Amino acid sequence: MKHAQIVLYHLSRLALAFTFVYAGAVKMQDVVAFAGHIAAYQILPYAMNYLVAATLPYVEFLAGLLLLLNTRVRPALVAVGGMNLVFMLALLSVLLRGLDIDCGCFDPGGGQDVSAAAALLRDVGLMILVVLVWWLRAGGERRVARGEEEPG
Amino acid sequence: MLRDLKRIALEACVLIAFGALFGLTLNHPLVMDAFSGRLVSPQSTTEEVNSLAALPMPVLIDEVQQVMASGGLIVDARSPELYALEHIEGAVSLPMVEIDAELSEFLGTVARNRVIITYCSGFGCPDSFDLGMTLISSGYLDVRVFEGGFPEWRDAGLPILGEGK
Repeated sequence: MKHAQIVLYHLSRLALAFTFVYAGAVKMQDVVAFAGHIAAYQILPYAMNYLVAATLPYVEFLAGLLLLLNTRVRPALVAVGGMNLVFMLALLSVLLRGLDIDCGCFDPGGGQDVSAAAALLRDVGLMILVVLVWWLRAGGERRVARGEEEPG
Repeated sequence: MLRDLKRIALEACVLIAFGALFGLTLNHPLVMDAFSGRLVSPQSTTEEVNSLAALPMPVLIDEVQQVMASGGLIVDARSPELYALEHIEGAVSLPMVEIDAELSEFLGTVARNRVIITYCSGFGCPDSFDLGMTLISSGYLDVRVFEGGFPEWRDAGLPILGEGK
């Protein structure tokens, strides 16, 4: 990879990593409040909100951690991209139904109020980062495979 | 290439399964409670819970309507401003933020054996639960919490009153 691409790869990877490690860590602190935020989307049956709240933050944290450590980056990207896609669909359905709720993306007890539209825009940005990191890493590996660069 | 993608997808599944398993291991009592109907209130993770009987029980929207129809009292725990703007039709205001000033009048007018359901601004809002606890410790025998609160009631298209309506 060219120097600029290496810098861009690591910056994008770290931005994604910190976002998901933080998102997972704060939601782990108050799983019940997070369940309430999911319930406000009115998508899942009542008890399922608790099941998702009890598991999702840990998947987010783990995927973020792998990105942070620069190991198993592409499986982590698939997980992060998949979750992000689900979040975007949920937010889109909130917008279409005209519900006025907090997205619950980060600190569930923090009192910050992020509208569904703003959260959807942020998720689009995260999705671009996912694609960018995947593409830069794949490009780097192709060049290494062709012997143009030393593996690194 | 295809083999690579398969491996990546498989590893992603393992990652998700591992994270979910870890979360379930730590939170299984909560999930079990949710699926068996013994739902805990949004505040119970941060407070010591010694006796279930001393906690206001969570109710769903259908039960709120049943209790209203059978003479129970619906109590709005939100601020007086929010109550004035919009509230569940038939609900009385007992704002948690002014509980010290307002409680004595409430105690003087509402019988201790009347069924009471508190609500506030939905999930994650602690006032309805806190008010429920206050009412139980004041001697009320049957206090319940409508966790979906005003947003769920409004979104269900049920009757509301107030200046903002």
